[in-house]
Amino acid sequence: MPPGLIGYAARRVLGLVPVLCVVVVLTFVANQMVPGDPIATMLSDQSGDPALEARLRAEYGLDRPLVEQFLSHVAGILRGDFGLSFRYASVPVIEVISTGLAVSPILACAAMALALPIGVALGTFAALRRNTFADTAVILVLVAGMSIPNFALSAFLVYLLAIRFDLVPVAGWGSIEQAVLPVVVLAVAPMAYIARLTRTYMLEVLQQDYIRTARAKGMRERIVVYRHALRNTLVPLLTTVGIIFGGLLSGTFVVETIFNIPGLGRMAIQAIFARDYPVTMAIVLLFTLFYAGINLLVDLLYGVIDPRIRLGGDGR
Amino acid sequence: MPSSRPRRLLALLLSLTLLGAATADARTLRLNITADPAMVDPITFSELIAGDIIANVYEGFTGLDADGNVIPALAERWSAHDDNRGFRFELRKGVKFHSGRELTAADVKWSFEQLLIPGNKGGLNVKYLEAIEGADDVKAGKTTDLVGVKVVDDHTVDVRFTRTEVLFPIYPLYIMDSGIVAEHGADWHTKVSAGTGPFRFVHWKRGQEVRLAAHEGYWGGAPAIDDVAFLVVPSDDTAISMYEAGELDLVYLDVTAGRRMLKDTRFKDELMLVPAAQIQYLGLNQTKYAPFKDRRVREAICIAIDRDGMVAGLYGGAAFPLYGQVTKGVAGYNPDLRPIPYDPERAKALLAEAGYPGGQGLPPVKVTSTAPRKTEIAYYANQLKTALGMPVEVEVVERGTHIKAMNAGEVAFFPWGWTAGYPDGLYFLEDVWYGPSRYNRSRWSNAEFDALIEKARETADEKARYALYHQAEQILLDDWGTCPTTVRMQIAARKPNVHGVALTPFRFLPFAKVRIE
Repeated sequence: MPPGLIGYAARRVLGLVPVLCVVVVLTFVANQMVPGDPIATMLSDQSGDPALEARLRAEYGLDRPLVEQFLSHVAGILRGDFGLSFRYASVPVIEVISTGLAVSPILACAAMALALPIGVALGTFAALRRNTFADTAVILVLVAGMSIPNFALSAFLVYLLAIRFDLVPVAGWGSIEQAVLPVVVLAVAPMAYIARLTRTYMLEVLQQDYIRTARAKGMRERIVVYRHALRNTLVPLLTTVGIIFGGLLSGTFVVETIFNIPGLGRMAIQAIFARDYPVTMAIVLLFTLFYAGINLLVDLLYGVIDPRIRLGGDGR
Repeated sequence: MPSSRPRRLLALLLSLTLLGAATADARTLRLNITADPAMVDPITFSELIAGDIIANVYEGFTGLDADGNVIPALAERWSAHDDNRGFRFELRKGVKFHSGRELTAADVKWSFEQLLIPGNKGGLNVKYLEAIEGADDVKAGKTTDLVGVKVVDDHTVDVRFTRTEVLFPIYPLYIMDSGIVAEHGADWHTKVSAGTGPFRFVHWKRGQEVRLAAHEGYWGGAPAIDDVAFLVVPSDDTAISMYEAGELDLVYLDVTAGRRMLKDTRFKDELMLVPAAQIQYLGLNQTKYAPFKDRRVREAICIAIDRDGMVAGLYGGAAFPLYGQVTKGVAGYNPDLRPIPYDPERAKALLAEAGYPGGQGLPPVKVTSTAPRKTEIAYYANQLKTALGMPVEVEVVERGTHIKAMNAGEVAFFPWGWTAGYPDGLYFLEDVWYGPSRYNRSRWSNAEFDALIEKARETADEKARYALYHQAEQILLDDWGTCPTTVRMQIAARKPNVHGVALTPFRFLPFAKVRIE
C-alpha cells in the first residue's frame, strides 16, 4: 500500500469516531426520553412484588444516577457489552442478538451480489439499444422494480412460488432454498436502481471523445464497450453502492420479518414492538457500524482507483 | 419436501454459505412460538412461551387432563395433615428423569429449595412456596435447608405450612433432577435436560427453534412422535403461510391473525377454539370517580355494553361474552350465572334515577388503557357516550406507567385482564377482587366477599370451596363491582394428519399423546 493511501485510510477511519459517538449519545438520550418504566412492564403480573422490583432495578442499574448510567453504558459498549434486555429479563443483549449478527450483512451482500451484475448487464443492454423497443421494455421493468414495495412483492412471490407451486419454502433460514425468495426480493430494487444508473452513465461515456477515438482506430465494438466504456461507468457506480447498502439494510427489516429470518432486522422489529430499548439501541449501533464500514470500504476502493482522491485528502 | 424442487439450479443461482440445514421428518411436531422463550429452566420460569416448552419437559405433583381437570402426575396420592396445615405426598414409583435416574423425595425438597435460594433468581413459582415453613429463611439467604419439607422415605414427602394452603397440590411447581447442578454447573439448563416429562430438552437455537425429543422412559408411556420443534415465528401472517405450505403441523395464533383463519372455510375442520383462562373486566374505581359510588351508575354502564356486538365486531368472533369473574374451563366456574343483558333503555332509566338524566351532571372521565387496547377503549367511550350521554374520553398510556398507576389505585376507569397461574378460580377472585390483594386495581372492596374468600382458602373440600366461590362471585356481580366483558378465544389449527393435540384454557397440554400419521 502506498503511504498516501495509508494516511487516507487512517483519516477515513478516524472520521468514523465522531459518527459513532453521536449515535451512542443519541440512542441513549432517546431511550431516556421514552415514557414509562421498563421494570414495571417487565414485572407485569408480578408488579406488586416490591422485593423483585428492587432486585431488577439494581440489576439493570436503573437505581443509579443518570450520568453514572451513561458512563457505564459507554464503558460497556467499549467492552462489547450492551447491557441487559428488557424483554428477556436478566439476559444480556449480546446473547439476544449474537446469533443474528451475521445474518443481515449476509443477506444484504447476497442481494448486492445478485443485483450488481444483473443491473449492470441490463443497463448496458438498454444503453446500447437506446430508443429502441428493447430499451423501453427494460426501462418499464426497471420502473416497476423500483416502485413495487418489497412487502407486496414478497407476499406475491410467497403465494405464487411457495404456496401455489411449492418450488421454495415459505419461510425460514438455514438452507439455500430458503434464501432464494428473500435474496431475490431484496435484490430487485437495487438491481433496478443500478441498471438505471448504468444506462445513464453508459450513455454519457459513449459520447466521450476517447470512445470516438477508439472507434475511429477501428477497434472492435465489443472491446470499445466492455473495456473502455464499461470500466469508466463502474467508477461512479461504485459510489452509489455504498448508498444502496443503506437501503438494503433497511430492506432486511421487512424481508426478515416476512420470511422469518433470524437476523438483526427481524430482531429490531421485535425489539421495537416489545419496547426492548437496550436491544434496539445495540442494533442501531451495529447497523451504523456496518453501513459506515461499507462506505469506508467504498471510499478506500475509490482511493485505490482514483489517485486524485487519496492525494487531495477529502477534497472530493 | 418434494423432489420436484429445482434444487441444483437454485444452488447455482446463489452461492451462499448459510447456517446448518434443519429439515424435519414426518415424526416431528412443528409448531410456532411468537418469540424466543425468555428461559428454558423451571427455576427462573416467568413467562408464557417458556411455560409452553417447560410443561413438556418438567412435571409437578399434578397435571391437567384434556378437559382441564386436575389429575395426579408425579404424586400418586396426597392427603392433608390432620391440622390442615400441610400435606403428605406419595410419589409415583418408577418415574425416570431424562438422565435415567429415578425420581425420589429428595428431588422434591431440592427443587423447592432451588426456587427459593436468592442467587438463583427464582421466577413466577416462588410465590407458591411462600407459605412453607422456613421459606422466608431460605429466601433471605440465611440457610439453604427448607425445613418445612421433610423427606419421609424415598417416595414420601411431607410439606408443612405456616397457614392453611389447600391449593398447594395443584400449584405448577416443577420437580428437577437434583444431580444436575452438581454435575453441570450454573448454566445446566442449556446443556442437559433435568425433568421427568414426556420430552427432553435437546437444543435452543436463539431466533430459530427450541427442540425437544421423546423421553423413551416416560412413566406415562413413550410419546408416539420423535421430536417437537418450537419454531420462532414472530409474524403470525408468516406462520399461517407456513402452515398452509405444510411447514408447520400446528399453529397457535393471536386474535388478529386468528380471525383470518376463523373466516377461512378451508380451515374449518382443522381449527381448535377454546376460551383462555383469562378474565376481562372493566375497572370502576369508586375513589377516583365519584359517580361510580352509585350502584345504579355501575349497573347502567355494565348493561349499556353490548357484549355480543363486541364479540362479533371488535373481535371478529374470536371471543366469548363473559358474565362472571371465573372463566369457563377453570375449576370453580359457575355455568348457571345469569347472562348480563344488553339493555340501553334500562341503563338510561337507571342513570336518570341516579340523578344524571341523559348523562347530565356527570363529570368527564377517561377510560384508560395501553396501545393494544385502543380500539377497545374507543368502543367503550363511544358506546357510553351514545347510549348514556356519558362524557367519556379515551386515554392511551405506556404499559409500565399504566401498570404502576393501576397498582397504586390511581386509574378511575379501565378495561384490564388477569390470566390464571394455576387451574382454580380462586386465582381470579383472590388476586383481583379480594380487598387486601395487591392486584385489586379498581379498589372494589366488600367485607362479605373478603370473608368468603378467606373461608374458601381454608376449605379443602372442592365442592364446598366452589360453592363459596359462587357465593362470593355473586356478591361482586350483584353489587356491579365490575363489568365482566369478554373472554379471549384461543385459536389454533392442526393439520388433518395430526392427532391427540389438546388445547385447554391453559394453552396446549404436553404433547405426550400426539400422533402424526
